[in-house]
Amino acid sequence: MIPLLLILSLLILLAALGAVWKARPVHAALLLALALAMVAVLYLIVGAEFIGLVQFMVYVGGVAILIVFALLITRPGDEAAEVARRPSSVGLGLACVAPVLGLLLYAISKGLPVAAATAERANPKLPVAALGRELFENSVPAVLAVAVLLTAVLIGAALFAREPSSKPEPPANR
Amino acid sequence: MRVPVMIALIMGASPMLGLAAEESKPLQLAPEYWPCLPQRLVEMGLQAAKAPDWLVSLGSFAAAAATVVAVFLTAFALLSLIERKTLARAQNRLGPNRAGIFGILQPVADGIKMLTKEDIVPTKAEWFLHLLAPVLIVIPSILALGVIPYGREWLPVPLELGLVFFFAVGTMTEVAVFIAGWASGSKFPMLGAMRAISQMISYELPLIISALSVVMLSGTLSLSGIVAAQGGYHLGFIPAWNILTPWGFVAGVVFLIAANAESNRCPFDLPEGESEIVAGHMTEYSGFKYALFFMGEYLGLFAISGLGITLFLGGWQPPFPGLGWVPSWIWFFGKLAAVIFFFLWVRTTFPRIRIDQLMRFAWLCMIPIALLTLPVAAIWHFTANPDGSNGVLSWLLCSAILAIPFIIITVIFNRRLAPSIRQYHFAE
Repeated sequence: MIPLLLILSLLILLAALGAVWKARPVHAALLLALALAMVAVLYLIVGAEFIGLVQFMVYVGGVAILIVFALLITRPGDEAAEVARRPSSVGLGLACVAPVLGLLLYAISKGLPVAAATAERANPKLPVAALGRELFENSVPAVLAVAVLLTAVLIGAALFAREPSSKPEPPANR
Repeated sequence: MRVPVMIALIMGASPMLGLAAEESKPLQLAPEYWPCLPQRLVEMGLQAAKAPDWLVSLGSFAAAAATVVAVFLTAFALLSLIERKTLARAQNRLGPNRAGIFGILQPVADGIKMLTKEDIVPTKAEWFLHLLAPVLIVIPSILALGVIPYGREWLPVPLELGLVFFFAVGTMTEVAVFIAGWASGSKFPMLGAMRAISQMISYELPLIISALSVVMLSGTLSLSGIVAAQGGYHLGFIPAWNILTPWGFVAGVVFLIAANAESNRCPFDLPEGESEIVAGHMTEYSGFKYALFFMGEYLGLFAISGLGITLFLGGWQPPFPGLGWVPSWIWFFGKLAAVIFFFLWVRTTFPRIRIDQLMRFAWLCMIPIALLTLPVAAIWHFTANPDGSNGVLSWLLCSAILAIPFIIITVIFNRRLAPSIRQYHFAE
């Protein structure tokens, strides 16, 4: 199973790099969707079926589509790629990525023996019921906080998207 | 056919998901087991040939997938004929009547036509994505068909998370439609794809929420478990299907409308409205790629109808007691035929709606009512008698909680939100 995971991780890495490197925004978005879908496959392979399917549903079906929609509505031209290639942008990106990467590497280096030990055990499966109980019994405050946040976001979005109640403006581009 | 082979490979890969082939059972020849025969035969043959375990489970899943694909591709060919015949009957025409008796060979003729047509890729299209989209649109439909329990014994892939799997692969369709619209490099496909995606996202919410109430009361995400929970009869003759409860009726109707919208059928066929945007995201496709889109659409219709039957109409459970001797998959396919005929009937009856009406209907009507079924399902559960049945009081309470907001919503919807003179800014 470990070689399979390594190959898949390499593919995910390639797709993610492509998502950063591609000049055309739509290509980048599709490659990002591919990378996210392969992460879902990763979850499925290690036996976290529910997380894998939800990852697919939320990230491929929701987030990737949202990105694509935003791209189509805002129509970024070639200048977007140009901005991305500027040295200052690259420096900023590295400055953002480095701490996260460091943290992840630290966590992996600390946690690797444990991960290897769990991988040795045959297919540790968590039933969905146990997952739900954990979520709604032990982590209720977090779930409620997220629910309040999302409701606020939804109401805010509805307020922004509401048409002005006075007379409608004529269409901008004639 | 490359696609079934690919699907067989994907389904064959599911042993990696922790699904192992079941213990070998003796070969059963009763009609109940007929659809499982190919799978069982392949399994027994491979075991007799002393094949390794992974090969046995791979062959078993491939045979199960091949059975489902064969059945539903035949059904797709038949449906394309029956749909044209039904539409013709509704419009006082004859419909296809030249190829064979009653036009029975029309699907064959259509298939030959599609295969021999020139495959055109527009100059501005990106050929790889242009090729990828029709393939991507068929895969989720077939994958979704794999988890539906068609009979007591006929369950191609017994997944514990069948419902989540169904919706998760269903989201792939949106990506495929977007790729189709964008890779064609043309205006109409892009407009059609935008319409299709916004419609699918909007109607996916009521679809999933209405399915949730069933999950709440069945207590399982496995589709065979949901069917099993609908077994038995009230008062000895009323089947215990979810559609025959107040929350189940409302959720079932919401599911039906949302399923109709999700499969882009009239009156929700805006993404490919012929008189508006040629054929939407399929405009730049011809030949077999177009046929794949068509196939994906019909297989998706089968899949979502099958899910609706599983969730609300009792799956393979017979409608009357004492009919247990009929093979259970016959009941499933009978219900499927009835639901599909209902969809055809709706298609001949209703005119296409406008995009703003579509969105308003989804967000202001469908989603509130779908959300309402969740608390009502909870009330239904907690007011049940100890033996699981519900008294008159529970029926009245649940019906009232559902009916009163429905009346209020429809009144508001009709009076305040629908303007008397409609302005459509983008059509000026």
